[in-house]
Amino acid sequence: MNNMKSSTLLKTIIILYLFIIIFPFFWVTVTSFRPESEIWSTNALQLKGATFTDINYVNLFKTTILNSLKNSLIISTITTVYVTMIASLCAYSIARLEFKFKKLLTVMILATSMFPQMIAIGPIYRVFVKLGWTNSYYISLPYSMITLPIAVFILITHFSQIPREMEESAIMDGSSKINTFFKIILPLATPGIFTSAIMTFIGAWNEFLLSLTLNTNESWRTATVSMSFLRGQFEIFWGQVTAATVVVTIPTLIIVILFQRQIVSGITSGALKE
Amino acid sequence: MKLSKWVDKKAGYILILPAVIFIILFSIAPIMGTLRYAFFDMQLNDQSRNDMYMKSNVNISLNQETIDYLNYYLDIDLDFVQKEETITKIDEIKMDLSDLDNFIAEEIATADLRGVVQVSKAKQNALMEKQKLILDSLEELYNMKDEFYSPEDTMAVASEFETSIIKSNFIGGGNFAKVLKDSRIHSTLKFTLVFTIISVLAELILGLALALIMNKSFKGRSLIRTFSLIPWAIPTSVAALMWSYLYNGSSGIISHIFTALGFISSPAAMLNSSTNALWGIIIADVWKTTPYMALLLLGGLQVIPNSLYESSALDGARKWQQFRYITLPLLKPSIFVALLFRTLDAFRVLDLIYVLTGGGPGGSTESLSLYAYKVMFSQTRFGYGSAMVLIMALVVGIITFIYIKALNVDLIGENR
Repeated sequence: MNNMKSSTLLKTIIILYLFIIIFPFFWVTVTSFRPESEIWSTNALQLKGATFTDINYVNLFKTTILNSLKNSLIISTITTVYVTMIASLCAYSIARLEFKFKKLLTVMILATSMFPQMIAIGPIYRVFVKLGWTNSYYISLPYSMITLPIAVFILITHFSQIPREMEESAIMDGSSKINTFFKIILPLATPGIFTSAIMTFIGAWNEFLLSLTLNTNESWRTATVSMSFLRGQFEIFWGQVTAATVVVTIPTLIIVILFQRQIVSGITSGALKE
Repeated sequence: MKLSKWVDKKAGYILILPAVIFIILFSIAPIMGTLRYAFFDMQLNDQSRNDMYMKSNVNISLNQETIDYLNYYLDIDLDFVQKEETITKIDEIKMDLSDLDNFIAEEIATADLRGVVQVSKAKQNALMEKQKLILDSLEELYNMKDEFYSPEDTMAVASEFETSIIKSNFIGGGNFAKVLKDSRIHSTLKFTLVFTIISVLAELILGLALALIMNKSFKGRSLIRTFSLIPWAIPTSVAALMWSYLYNGSSGIISHIFTALGFISSPAAMLNSSTNALWGIIIADVWKTTPYMALLLLGGLQVIPNSLYESSALDGARKWQQFRYITLPLLKPSIFVALLFRTLDAFRVLDLIYVLTGGGPGGSTESLSLYAYKVMFSQTRFGYGSAMVLIMALVVGIITFIYIKALNVDLIGENR
């Protein structure tokens, strides 16, 4: 009897939880298919009798949103590729090799993820202006500031789980440490590297502050920043705003659905940032 | 052969080097840069203050340009003027100009004739004296009754002298003193702390409850896990935009629901009053981050061996006792890591508020990051903004220190 009650309660809580998670996105999607006139009328609050239209999407694609998505995709991909390579080398050296100042260097790399990004943005901005690097894909370089410590974090966990016997026998056979890393460790660590790559990609895709300050030109904006400019000063076209929300969210949704196992492992193995 | 041996010996350094270089270039060096900026009254939109000047400087190329232009205009004037006395006056001014020229060449300019040259305060004053003399004489000249080419243009060019003088904008701890006295800092700090404490606490409690539920085995558990990832993966600025629609006064469904429930007086009041806006931001943040917190804690729960629960059940422990004496202590490291990083994240919140309220109404939901961003990039007061973020970083450091000391957690996984 008691058990029945608690399982009903559990079910209710789970359903409520799912509803709360999904509802905002669901409602925004519904709104995105309504004409602007309906959004501003009292009908906007009802599901029944809604008019279906794709006009918001048609209008949205006339703006620069596709270009922003392209920028986001290119910048996030560049970031993912080089950060994953650098982080793999670094994490292996921390997880397996012994050398002086290791602890100090490790703390230095991981501690940078705790600083507020605002503290570094001023000098980075000035250097970028001086070098003429604003409004370019060079913005991928400072993205390492947010993504590198997390990637290192995840990879340390994965590298330390690889059995030591594998590399020890390779070293016995006369293989150098760097050779062992590329021939033995990397293939074994592929799942971990993949996880860290996904986390890096999402981190770069969601980045806001660097993109807002360094790529100010409309044609260079990333999707996250472009979105914030849709909320104009005086008039807001909710139809377009909601359509844009749907369009920008779809890539992340696809990634989440395809790679949820890796992402969960990334989160639990030390991806401590949102 | 020798090289490869050396490489093998130093493999640790070689492999970590690229990461260290990136961290130095894009984290450590900028932080040091900010530390330097904070001691200067740096303002990007003001030519004489858009860099750090420890000493007084003269921009000799600008000064030279001004002299050349003045000579050029005065030569034209010489063709226009009629009276003997104006011609004398113009010659006098041209003498003064060449005197200034000589002074620069002999006393200030260095061999390589760079644009900006450091000078002593005395020499800078002497130079300004000479510039002032020329300006005064020009005024006298154009007050004379005669025909001139274009007095306005000449005076405009002459006023450029001012920009060639660059005074030191080193102000020591001035910026920091100003930050401590800034009343807007006090209100933003208060808002940021209130937001951080309420959000993180709510996320921890709800997240822990959800993690405990998800740790039970039931049908559709992996589905819930997948759904939990969605709010986390949506970019914060996009989530903020979504909530700004749900909160808006005319068709925002959440603000209508809250009105119906009696939480707010009318749908329009959701983002228009400071208290409601604070709660609006907290709700959006809790919505976005609680599932993530739950997954993080779930990871910690899953490594607790089941045998502990079984043997304690045999000893007659109740559910609550199991939670209190097994789950909580073993989950402690996960809880603390989650708490620390969530606190730091909430404390530096920028994009959520930037998009959702922009700091309004009336600056009541302005976070420290947002205020610092506005000072640096809208008002272009780099020096002041730098002092502000440094104080913010100090608070972050204090929070981290308190957490690490109080909880004694193993952050870098040494004991793994």
